[in-house]
Amino acid sequence: MHSSVSGTLNLRALQRRLASLFPEARTAAGESTLELAAVSNDAPRLISATVLEGQTLTAHRITDPPVAGFRAFLDGTQRSEVVNYLGSIAVVLGHVSAVVRERRERRMCTWRDPVIETRIYAPRALLPSVTWSTLAAEYGDLLVDTTDGEKEILAHPFALRDLAFHRVQAHREVVEQRLAERWCDEESAALFIDGGISGSATVSVSDITVGVVKSHRTLYAEGDALDTVLGLGHRERSSVFRITSPRRTTVASWYLRLRDPVAHDPMWGLIRAEVALPSSVRQGDIAARADEVSRWILAEVSPLALPDSRWDKMVYGVRDCEEFLRAIR
Amino acid sequence: MTQILGRIVATERRPNTPHEFHFWTALDSPVGIGTVVRVDGRDPVNGVVPHVYGIVTEGFSWTDLASPLHDVMGHDSDPANDPAHQTSRSEIRLYTAAVLRHVPEEPLQPVPMGTVFLADETDVTIALRMDGYLKEGSNTGIPVGVYRAGGTDSPIYLDADFLLGPEAAHLNITGVSGLATKTSAVEWILQSIFAHFPDRHGSVAAVCFNVKGPDLCFLDLPGEIDDADRALYAQCGVPAEPFPDVQYFAPYKSDGVSLNTLRSNEALLENVTVLTWGLREVLQYAEVLLNKDDIDAKADALIDFIKENVLDKRFTDPMLERPHTVTSFADLDAWFKEVLRALEKKDDQSWRTHHVATIRKVRNRLSNISLRCKGLVADDGATSDLPFGSFQDRTVYVIDVAGLEEDAQDLVFARVVTKLREHLEKRDLGVQHVVVFVDELNKYAPGDGPDTYVRKMLLDIAERGRYLGLVLFAAQQFRSQVHRRVVGNSGTALFGRMDGDELATPGYAVLSPAIRTKLATLEKGQLMVRHPHFTQPIFVRFPRPAVMRGRDGVSQYPAAQAPSLLSAVLRTLRQADPALTLGWLQDVTALATDEEILRARNDVVRTRPTDVRKVFSAHFRKSVAPRTASRPDAPAPLPVAPFDDPYGF
Repeated sequence: MHSSVSGTLNLRALQRRLASLFPEARTAAGESTLELAAVSNDAPRLISATVLEGQTLTAHRITDPPVAGFRAFLDGTQRSEVVNYLGSIAVVLGHVSAVVRERRERRMCTWRDPVIETRIYAPRALLPSVTWSTLAAEYGDLLVDTTDGEKEILAHPFALRDLAFHRVQAHREVVEQRLAERWCDEESAALFIDGGISGSATVSVSDITVGVVKSHRTLYAEGDALDTVLGLGHRERSSVFRITSPRRTTVASWYLRLRDPVAHDPMWGLIRAEVALPSSVRQGDIAARADEVSRWILAEVSPLALPDSRWDKMVYGVRDCEEFLRAIR
Repeated sequence: MTQILGRIVATERRPNTPHEFHFWTALDSPVGIGTVVRVDGRDPVNGVVPHVYGIVTEGFSWTDLASPLHDVMGHDSDPANDPAHQTSRSEIRLYTAAVLRHVPEEPLQPVPMGTVFLADETDVTIALRMDGYLKEGSNTGIPVGVYRAGGTDSPIYLDADFLLGPEAAHLNITGVSGLATKTSAVEWILQSIFAHFPDRHGSVAAVCFNVKGPDLCFLDLPGEIDDADRALYAQCGVPAEPFPDVQYFAPYKSDGVSLNTLRSNEALLENVTVLTWGLREVLQYAEVLLNKDDIDAKADALIDFIKENVLDKRFTDPMLERPHTVTSFADLDAWFKEVLRALEKKDDQSWRTHHVATIRKVRNRLSNISLRCKGLVADDGATSDLPFGSFQDRTVYVIDVAGLEEDAQDLVFARVVTKLREHLEKRDLGVQHVVVFVDELNKYAPGDGPDTYVRKMLLDIAERGRYLGLVLFAAQQFRSQVHRRVVGNSGTALFGRMDGDELATPGYAVLSPAIRTKLATLEKGQLMVRHPHFTQPIFVRFPRPAVMRGRDGVSQYPAAQAPSLLSAVLRTLRQADPALTLGWLQDVTALATDEEILRARNDVVRTRPTDVRKVFSAHFRKSVAPRTASRPDAPAPLPVAPFDDPYGF
């Protein structure tokens, strides 16, 4: 029942179904997706990180030429939109997808099957129990409680939408990690992952995965170290440092400038790479690994990922993943 | 099952229609402009999965670049700067195809979503509707070449009923000169017709006008072909051999002695016949040689009078001193002279309603014909003509007019075609179908310019010839400059390599830019074919004709040097009596002038007597055996006058 429902879970079908189940429900029409509506409300942060390469965070020039090191690229997308309002409670439909695009003879092709999943998000704690029961009976595992585990629940519609949005985001991370783990199980060549790798215990310790983070709401540098990071020149990387998080695996990371920042903002072409933390951190080894991966990443700066607005930080393989997922959506 | 080649796509901006569809393929697919493909519909219609056949008419390619500027940026503004991309941009090969056929034909819907396959031989047959005339019981296919694409090799057949009539007829070939397309294609198709024309449709012959160089002068001699050509011949079931039966016709040069053809080598004269016409033949087609300024109503009336009352008849008139029987230009001139002399004598301005000025004008123009067409037209009325009435099946009759003046070419063309039509109407030509090949149609049937007799006749053939079995195969460099009704009535059209300027004319607007580009770059041996059964043009390859090329023939069989008068006459007479010798001829003609000798030869050619020696000799004065003069008897002495009487006798 639920699998067949999943196959027809598009916005219009869901709206019609909910309208029949809940005649009092108001259909949302013409609303933008939550991704467009959401303004990142994560406060910018500076976090001091433990430097693994030397004593202080310094700039290192990548002197050797770029070299192709990645065999495949992984990225995921999400899309969430309000379906109906049950009273003032928004029911959200969230689509997530992820794909690994493998490079063969310089052409990109899909590795295994892409993952595409859809869920319905609603705050159980704020809905009448009969409503929740009806939804659960109709959609079973596809129904996600956005208030599950939340200590404080604010009934503000925006807050509820944010809850749904974050659940969708979490779901997307899950499907990305699932694909990445599968890659680690089956392949031995390097995988470029758009985003961090510390969320998966398997992926974060694999020596064939490299996470590349493009957003810098959190910068792992303070003081002089921050100046060093923001002052990195073209094809320069920072010293390797350790990133530790209570709910994530510790990984090694460094900043790398992909493009010449002259006449651009300090974040122009700046990415942060994440790799598995070596079991024994030896100065030479960790530096050599950072240099090698940096050369791999620098090799991906062309072709340009234009017309994507993030093209200064985005590599073409990741754009290809996004285009693929957009095409099959 | 053949491999999937592509998938149908349709967007709002680029929708599919019942006559056109779009599909994409892998980058390395063997699809190209002119490739025939089959679409298998995804969803059944009325319980039947639709199949659509199409031919690729346009191709597109693009990448995910939003702007060329992005690529410039990717190369740091330096084209030489290759950043060694590890990844090639996403790229698409999108093709547009024109629909050849829907199966089933109804309901006629836009091409459905589905998968695209390369057409195999069976598909090509269905797509081009050749299945209708290749099936058992019909078998009217005439191979025109082989379609080749992506590993598919499929002979393409024209329908004889639409090539040689009666359903449609005529063939028109367009292509730039010098690429061995037009003439070669016609030679190949004639070979194919002779090999495949169904016996039950009757007999067929070809009359080819060689209008330039030695192009058609060696059709009976084997030419050089390679293995690829032989393979094409084998695929099409046409023997890779020269034409077994070819008859050549050529007029004399102006000297009246040597043949006006590049096929004058002694070794090749066996099947060369002289083409000579007399007054009767020419006067029938006077309007071909006389333009409108020449023939006003008055002149026309006089010419009609001559044709009706003077030509080949004993003509008497009280004004004339003697009866005239006009059978040649010389006789006609004598008749004119006497008429004018008589008028002057009477100091009269008209005779039998014809004004003296008109008579002088017509005399001038008609007399001029024998000069303008010297070699073709004999003053003395001698005639040697094509074998109208006894044409042979699968025989090519080549008329070499390459060395003639334009007027004379027009005359030959007009008369031969008119005679063909007359005999075909009476069903007594000897064959049921005749293909007439005319090159340089630009010249004979131009779209603009004066309305000549030749053009009117070509229009007549184009519009009515198919009912008679008179089929026009015409070639030209610029189709756009040929009269629209001539090309419009050609059921089948072939196109070789085309000139860019010609392709820019409106007549080619129906072709896609890609097809036009392909036409501008076609290789030798490739043609684009339009035929009534084909809803879209198709590209084929054809083999080199298995006949000796003109320039090879000229180098292997150089034209004979101009022979002496007696040698030339002997050669002609020997065709009737091979036992004749030069010594005999010298004896017989010892006292004759050149004109007398030629007149005697022409008489033999015209009358074809059984005893050539007797008829030929009868034209000359007998030479008298020499004898010594004897002293005559002494005359009687004159009487002497008396000494003293000078007046006395």
